[in-house]
Amino acid sequence: MHRPSQVAIPVGDLREEDSLSDFEEVPYPTHTTNSWTVNQEELPLHYMTEEKARRRVPKAPAGNGLHDDKAEAFDDGGRDAYNKIGSVKGNMGGGRLRRPPPPPPATFTEFLQQNLEHIPPVVYTLLSCWTRFHKIGKSPYVIWDEAHFGKFGSHYLKREFYFDVHPPLGKMLVGLAGLLSGYDGSFEFKSGEQYPDTVPYVAMRVLMAMFGVVMVPLGWYTAVELGMSWWACHLVAIMVLCDVAWLCISRFILLDSMLLCFTFTTVFALTKFHNQQYQSFTFDWWLWLAFTGLSIGCVMSVKWIGLFVTALVGLYTIEDLWEKFGDVRMSVQDQLRHWGARIACLIVLPILVYMASFKMHFLVLNHSGPGDSQMSSLFQANLVGNDFAKNPLDIAYGSKLTLKNMGWGGGLLHSHVQTYPVGSNQQQVTCYHYKDDNNDWIIVPRWDEPEYDPDGPLRFLQDGDVIRLQHASTTRNLHSHTIPAPISKLNNEVSCYGNATIGDFHDYWVVEVVDDIKRGRKDRFENIHSLTTRLRFKHEDSGCYLRAANAILPQWGFKQVEVSCDKENNPNDIHTYWNVESHWNDRLPAGDAKFYKSPFLRDFIHLNVAMWTSNNALIPDPDKEDILASKPTDWPWLRLGLRMCGWGDTQTKYYLLGTPVIWWGSTASLFVFLTALGVYLLRQQRKYVDMEPREWEHFLYVGKIAFVGWFLHYFPFMIMGRVTYVHHYLPTLYFSVLLLAHLLDHFIFSSRRLSEQTKRIAFGVCTFIIVGTFWWFRGVAFGIDGPINDYWGLGWRESWNIYNL
Amino acid sequence: MASQSQLRGRKGKGPALSGPSLEPYEEEDDHAGSGVNQSRRQSSLERTLNSDKASIAIVGVLTALAFITRFYKINHPDQVVFDEVHFGKFAAHYIQREYYFDVHPPFAKLLFGLAGWFVGFDGHFQFENIGDSYTTAHVPYVGMRALPAILGSLTVPIVYAIMKESGYSSVVSAFSAILILFDNAHVAQSRLILLDATLIFFMCLTIYSYIRFRKYRFKEFSQEWWGWMIATGVFMACTWASKVNGILTVVCIGCAVLVDLWDLLDYRKSSMERFRNHFFARAVGFILVPLIVYLSFFWMHFAVLTNSGPGDSFMSPAFQETLRGNELLLNSQEIRYFDTVTIKHKNTKVFLHSHEDRYPLKYEDGRISSQGQQVTGYGHPDSNNHWQIIPTKALPETGRARVVRHDDIVQLLHVNTESYLLTHDVASPLMPTNQEFTAWPKDDLSRYNDTLFQLHLVDAHEGEAWKSKSGHFRLVHVPTKVSMWTYQNQLPDWAFKQQEINGNKNAAEKTATWYVDEIVDSESDPSLPDRTGDTPPQEPKKMNFFKKFAELQILMLQHNAGLTASHPYASSPINWPFLLSGISFWTNADEQKQIYLIGNIVSWWTCVTAIAVFIGIIGADLLARRRNIEPIPDPVRNRLWNNTGFFILVWAVHYFPFFLMSRQLFIHHYLPSHVASALVAGSVLHYILSDDTLNYPISVRGDTMRPKRQTYADLGMRGPIALLGFTFSLLFFYIYIAPLTYGTPGLDGNQVNARRLLSTWTLHFAAKVTDGA
Repeated sequence: MHRPSQVAIPVGDLREEDSLSDFEEVPYPTHTTNSWTVNQEELPLHYMTEEKARRRVPKAPAGNGLHDDKAEAFDDGGRDAYNKIGSVKGNMGGGRLRRPPPPPPATFTEFLQQNLEHIPPVVYTLLSCWTRFHKIGKSPYVIWDEAHFGKFGSHYLKREFYFDVHPPLGKMLVGLAGLLSGYDGSFEFKSGEQYPDTVPYVAMRVLMAMFGVVMVPLGWYTAVELGMSWWACHLVAIMVLCDVAWLCISRFILLDSMLLCFTFTTVFALTKFHNQQYQSFTFDWWLWLAFTGLSIGCVMSVKWIGLFVTALVGLYTIEDLWEKFGDVRMSVQDQLRHWGARIACLIVLPILVYMASFKMHFLVLNHSGPGDSQMSSLFQANLVGNDFAKNPLDIAYGSKLTLKNMGWGGGLLHSHVQTYPVGSNQQQVTCYHYKDDNNDWIIVPRWDEPEYDPDGPLRFLQDGDVIRLQHASTTRNLHSHTIPAPISKLNNEVSCYGNATIGDFHDYWVVEVVDDIKRGRKDRFENIHSLTTRLRFKHEDSGCYLRAANAILPQWGFKQVEVSCDKENNPNDIHTYWNVESHWNDRLPAGDAKFYKSPFLRDFIHLNVAMWTSNNALIPDPDKEDILASKPTDWPWLRLGLRMCGWGDTQTKYYLLGTPVIWWGSTASLFVFLTALGVYLLRQQRKYVDMEPREWEHFLYVGKIAFVGWFLHYFPFMIMGRVTYVHHYLPTLYFSVLLLAHLLDHFIFSSRRLSEQTKRIAFGVCTFIIVGTFWWFRGVAFGIDGPINDYWGLGWRESWNIYNL
Repeated sequence: MASQSQLRGRKGKGPALSGPSLEPYEEEDDHAGSGVNQSRRQSSLERTLNSDKASIAIVGVLTALAFITRFYKINHPDQVVFDEVHFGKFAAHYIQREYYFDVHPPFAKLLFGLAGWFVGFDGHFQFENIGDSYTTAHVPYVGMRALPAILGSLTVPIVYAIMKESGYSSVVSAFSAILILFDNAHVAQSRLILLDATLIFFMCLTIYSYIRFRKYRFKEFSQEWWGWMIATGVFMACTWASKVNGILTVVCIGCAVLVDLWDLLDYRKSSMERFRNHFFARAVGFILVPLIVYLSFFWMHFAVLTNSGPGDSFMSPAFQETLRGNELLLNSQEIRYFDTVTIKHKNTKVFLHSHEDRYPLKYEDGRISSQGQQVTGYGHPDSNNHWQIIPTKALPETGRARVVRHDDIVQLLHVNTESYLLTHDVASPLMPTNQEFTAWPKDDLSRYNDTLFQLHLVDAHEGEAWKSKSGHFRLVHVPTKVSMWTYQNQLPDWAFKQQEINGNKNAAEKTATWYVDEIVDSESDPSLPDRTGDTPPQEPKKMNFFKKFAELQILMLQHNAGLTASHPYASSPINWPFLLSGISFWTNADEQKQIYLIGNIVSWWTCVTAIAVFIGIIGADLLARRRNIEPIPDPVRNRLWNNTGFFILVWAVHYFPFFLMSRQLFIHHYLPSHVASALVAGSVLHYILSDDTLNYPISVRGDTMRPKRQTYADLGMRGPIALLGFTFSLLFFYIYIAPLTYGTPGLDGNQVNARRLLSTWTLHFAAKVTDGA
């Protein structure tokens, strides 16, 4: 069975149709430049070699996976040759076939011929520029979420601190785009408003659309690196070019084009790295590994959805390392180097990128702005324009103050006239992240003590004092009782009750000092200072502690954070720590405190927890119908589109809708892939041989990248509680598009049974359908003028609200 | 001769290449082989313990103890405890034969009904509230509680038998059984009228039968093989029919069968024909038989519950008409034009209502209304709920043409204010996205078009007559295509806090369903009987069983998913294996007694440790094998994978799906998994104590197999010592926690605090730790 002689087949033995390029695995005589130039017409354009390599096993006469003896023998020999490729024979093969570097070009023609393969992507990139930039400034209005992201970009230009649920990199790039195009940050980006002349919105959109342009060549080269055939590479590029949803979302000042772009680069870098697997620790290997890590860092710093593609890289790496672990010939040092390389490049590097983006964020935004209250008091005090330092330092009875929860992501103690619909039905007490008069509280003495006298002697607040906290705007008192809190049922409810004259002993709170950030342990000082002293409030009657731990109230509590009274006395629970933030008292001198710097790591964690909490508060409201929102189950079938702006007859209208054939085709490919995989596995169990090992590995490898990638980008939305929109599917779509191309490649373009003619026809039909549909729907991305109902034939599904009814 | 293509397609190593004939594959029991420390003789202690007599004695003792623990003071408390509120009530409904609706399948509840009937319960007690007294109501509750107690007690010997059949020694088997025997959670759950004891009992039987079935795998298609397979199927159906979670047992057996079939598909092991036979045999045993059994319980359910009851309103009108005494059956009338009716919303049960008052011109948020007459939802009977149906087409004087039909376009006249129901493109008071409903004076014809509504009967055929009570409909506005809709949200004081009614733009909205509650008044038509009064009782209609079943099954799934309301004792699955929280079942403040569902901390923590150890062993073995080191001999490894792996599968399948469920979850949902983890604990204990020795063979030998030498597991003295140690610590904690399990005797504050072993347990009557402060 083993025929070593066939491995090293001399070139002369070949039959006519098996050209040299069949055996690209056998190193070329690269040093003999002469022979190279002689064989110019045999230039190993990778897609040609790929094409032929796949057909290395001659067509079987019966065509359905059956082999005659001859084929079998040949096949065995071929397999041996493949085994020689690398040191490891695992199931991690399947990428693009290796090819030696070409010799340096001697003439210009040679250079051209060597780079012929780059011509299609250049053409596609030019086309992509056209689609992305065509009439990009047509609608001079703030479209859809430009209202958010444009505004955030402005904040960077004005350097005012703001808060948002997304990490800062994408928005910083928006700011950068603004900076580059000469925008001064003065525009408010109100939804639907017309851009004034001072806002260079076209330039900003063009800069954002650059990310969209890059997607097309990235798609092409990813397909190349995945080892797809020439036809399939074209299809991938055409689909990426012609999807109107990708096109539409790339043409505005949004984060999605960056998210998509970095998702594409991550997949590209991963496939590139995969193809370096047999040259570990070479320069290219390190380059692509580090690039993958960098790309992960970027995609995560744009939107947290980037975690999904990170998970894909993680799974790939685990499988890869598992393979390496099984290679007993590899030395322990090499094993450790592999592990170390991945930890450094895929874990440490992305985290550094992510943190660096936050560092930049804090560095740029050094002025006080609308997002202040999300951060700790100390951080705010260090912002330019903040006057906390002017607050009186010592807290006294009669002081008006705001209380900041010191837990990660904590807010200000807040109350408002709305009442709890459950429990006591008394006035709600919550934690709120924005500055507001309803955050103000006044320290007043107990009921059994003489009333606070504004003219009497000053009485400073001390550790252990029993006080009432009066809500300034409603004069009610902070109150707790043994009724379970609305969300944390095991804690007591905290409410506001009574008024300046009505109340009872349930309004008493014991002030317990924990320590002071500046002055240290509590026995070292007497007076309680604003900002730096850490306090706890114990309910005197029930012994529970005032606590706010990022549990979100339902709509009736406006999605604010629940405040409850914790019966467990856990002295280390940071969620029961509070500090005085703003402090007003006319009778005390304004302080002039110097504050410690707020450490970066603290701010970083604090901001991330706050983002997480706000993100979790974005849950669909059952009482309110959000016509823009859609369910994950709607997306693969393209059940709903999304109106991105007003739908008046005079407006230019944009509708976020995919190219239907691409969406439906890619969804169908998911099912076809699973079915095909199932059938192949069943047949393998019965020992039918449908493919040679390398083909099977290739089928699996590309299938895994595409299908697992799709699954990881799709399934988490199903269990996520938050409200979802159709544009959440856009990164997911990429993987199903790859899968569609892969399956077309597998069943048609790389099939041994079909003739070149058939393949050409199939390719033509696919391209025609895709481009045709794109052309049909181009208006939704380029903008539709005039009454929408004048445009015939866009409502392919009844559920699309593209027409006015 | 096998077909040509089959043979030609097969390629590769192995005998198949050598020729077209398929050699009979010699089956091997992969638990045998070299590498095991082959102790062919047992120590005398081991031999004595593993003898049949000793085994029977052990089972006897365990069963007796199980009955004692489950029946001890079973009459206490003589009050309704926790979910007895539901399941007691359902039993009462069976005895009264009144139709009810519940999310769980009927088998376990039928058993309770049977038990209640057996002990003479008349079904009049309604189990309304936790704490209602049984003694004052003369309910034979002990008899009903005895049923789960018996099943719960019998679970213990079955667990022993599962381990014994899996090839473990008596000591290890007893260990697993004792983990269940002295577990407070199992005891507390089995002593009350709850479904879990039945569920767990049948789940254990399913596992037992499946293992028996697997042991006959070398004697395929023998009588015993068929017998145990069908037994598995039947018990599986019983498990599933006891409680919805029983479906997990089905999934778990399904997984095992699929793995088994995948193995059989291997071309070296069987021909396609053999595989086909196996496949169809399993289709019968694991799909067909269980389905028939499962359906038969529903058939019984419907056969018993023939009278109208509290569950009627969940069902479709057609279903309701099959119940004797149902309101629809009694009072459903065809509606004719010019009838005056009251219209009720199906989900929120409010009447369509209107009154003189008008919408305020300006709302709080600054939006403007039409200032038209208010149309609201009102919960109580009132003459302002009366609407008359006005035709939009010419009608004959008499006859069938005056009946209102599906898809007819009608106007609704509010009788008291003489105005027509109308909607228009004005935002409703509370929802800017929906249209305002109002009423327009009868004489003003300028808005005629806006008063037209089309009547869409739900699931109706062309020309179907509109009937009161049963004719559920949506009212779709003709010009704007919105559906009349309401939801639980009150309007402000200006509308007397009545419910808002508005036009939902999704015309097909499911919750926009209404029905005519009553025909208040009709034009006198001498040819018709008086339709406003009651009619003589009618015979219930017939309905296809499968239709009934499908309807009920879909409703059960919907409602099960809908149980999302928060509950103070609900806990998330991650807490369960570690016993972090329990459920307060019942309290008695006078004597400071309480029942708190919590497990035996030794038992639960042993189980979860065993799972961790198993995963550790398998993980380490996989890693080692990857490096070409084989630390565990093959037979032992196979036993670990096949047997302990199966137990782990049972555990995982009964546990992890809960993470995906958004409904409210309680620690008792973990009990089936806990049983599985006790099985895992037993086999892990065996692995640790046995020095790589196995009992072999345990499967029944096939005819074509070569006989191999027997080997025995040898635990020596370590086994009994470990067992005794565990038994004592289990017993100690069991007794310590027992007052919380049995609800007696009462505990004072400090005793409660002492029994609060973990700070997360929320016991009642705890003394304040902070008293001194």
